Amino acid sequence: MTDTLIQNLLNGALTGCIYALIALGLSLIFGVMNVVNFAHGDLVMVSMYLTFWIGLGTGIDAAITPLLTFPLLFLIGLLVYYAIIDRTLRQRYVTQIAVTVGLMTFLRALAQLIWKAQPRALPYSLIQGSIQIGSYTILASRLVSAAVSVLVIFGISLFLSRTWAGRAIRAASDDLDAASLHGVDFRQTYALAFGLGSALTAIAGGLLMTFQQVDPTMGVRFGLLSWCVLAMAGLGSIPGLLISGVIVGAAEAMGMSLWDPRARSLVIYLLFILVLWLRPRGLFGRK
Amino acid sequence: MRSGNSLPRSLLIALLVLAALLPLVARSNQYALVLFTTVLLYGVLATAWNIIGGLAGQLDLAAGAYLGLGAFTVGTLLIRWNISPWLGMILGGLIAVGFALLIGYPLFRFGIREVWYALSSSALVEVLRVAFLIWNQVGGPMERYLPYHEWSLYHLRFATYMPFYYIMLGMLVLALVVNHRVRHSRLGYYLMALGENEDAAEVLGVNTQACKLQALALYAFLVGTAGGVYACMYGFIHPNFFSGPLSTEVAILGIVGGMGITYGPVMAAILLVSTREFLRANLGGQLESFYLVVYSVVLILIALFRPQGIATFVRGAYDRLLSRMVKE
Repeated sequence: MTDTLIQNLLNGALTGCIYALIALGLSLIFGVMNVVNFAHGDLVMVSMYLTFWIGLGTGIDAAITPLLTFPLLFLIGLLVYYAIIDRTLRQRYVTQIAVTVGLMTFLRALAQLIWKAQPRALPYSLIQGSIQIGSYTILASRLVSAAVSVLVIFGISLFLSRTWAGRAIRAASDDLDAASLHGVDFRQTYALAFGLGSALTAIAGGLLMTFQQVDPTMGVRFGLLSWCVLAMAGLGSIPGLLISGVIVGAAEAMGMSLWDPRARSLVIYLLFILVLWLRPRGLFGRK
Repeated sequence: MRSGNSLPRSLLIALLVLAALLPLVARSNQYALVLFTTVLLYGVLATAWNIIGGLAGQLDLAAGAYLGLGAFTVGTLLIRWNISPWLGMILGGLIAVGFALLIGYPLFRFGIREVWYALSSSALVEVLRVAFLIWNQVGGPMERYLPYHEWSLYHLRFATYMPFYYIMLGMLVLALVVNHRVRHSRLGYYLMALGENEDAAEVLGVNTQACKLQALALYAFLVGTAGGVYACMYGFIHPNFFSGPLSTEVAILGIVGGMGITYGPVMAAILLVSTREFLRANLGGQLESFYLVVYSVVLILIALFRPQGIATFVRGAYDRLLSRMVKE
């Protein structure tokens, strides 16, 4: 009993690193331009399908496809920003939500149209095998995915603190007027943040496809899941995101093994509501 | 945007008579009747949403939660104890209100606003769906069928959809009247004030928490009772009634219809839901879900280019017509 529980917790914690990566993209978008993107989870779903498509068509492994899908999703992000989001910046937040909910429906319907409703998975992955630690088995694909996620999160945090563009994003997030006075072009910065935030879902999508299947409705789960991670972490703390991701992943796994496999989303949503009620600024947030 | 909001009474009565005559056109065409009733249902839901969303500015995405609670109350009472849905509807509405207050109190107490309110309300729908899926005594993964009756007013079960059309029409009128009354009451002005700027309203002495709870309760009651009719109309209950897509669609109808404009959401429901069903009927055959692609593009375009709502289109046209008539 405890063995399976620990086993599940390990798996959940590793998946949680990918959740943190997805939430990092959302945090870039929400933290910088205060745009509520309901379609973020569906971008993960689209990334997973693109990975599936590329894997099926060319045989490129899911672990490597992010090299192709990352720029693709970046472009999609830019397109979405300039075509839709940019026009709603001066509108009330409900209009923004209406637009991104429209986008969410659009992406889901498109996925259903192209790939039909049944779940799809890739037959194999480059990363094979598993590692034994005592009596616990860890799938190599999960371990590598978690490691890559942590590395990418670390890389993004370096990008945000060391490069001019990254600093512009942080500056715009802290104080847009002051940033503008220092020569930050806010539209370019917003577009960059939106593109980058969307592109991160490409990496997450590729990693998820190494051990998971995809179906058109899973965007909702990833969407609310990443909002849950973000709510728990609060804005502006990258280590906080990682810790929250791991907590959410572990809680999900625990709910599944202790309660009911169908309860996985229930646990996440209850956690989300509790965090909102008790710690509206998140556990690690600074604003 | 939120002002000058009354159509002349004669026009309203003419519209109502037209709506009452509509089923005569459909006659025994059950598809058309279901379609009309569905449009009315969305009209009721979006009009109810307008109280909490349009007036109070709280982006509620939990319509499916209250709809499901109403449906399950009516269904369970009818199946288990043969209690009439007429009573069940009221009870379902009250249960929805109780649940809304239970959830709303801490949400408003802890100052959860804007996007976080939207997200936690949308989480609620999914929580209830899964909870009823697991709760085998009442929900469970199988549909539970309501007893079949050819024509029973007590059981609210009919072999034709015609009565449901009129019940739903009655509910729509009720929802519109409630909406209109609230809008022109003290509560309505408080709600509009806090919808514009919550902090400012609070400073001016509006008890925002109590106002929001009242708006939430009215909304939950209307949606809960509509959920009861929904269950009787379809003849079964299922945890999927706690539907996330339905909840977001209700909010979208409210937004694109024109937030706070009494007849805006109904107008959006008539235009958009029938467009959606038309697209589904005509495109659904060859290309599954293509209608949703088109539909979502329409939604995005309206939200982008008419953010004040499509009701403002009609009012603009109406005003122009009126001024032209005055000139002549």
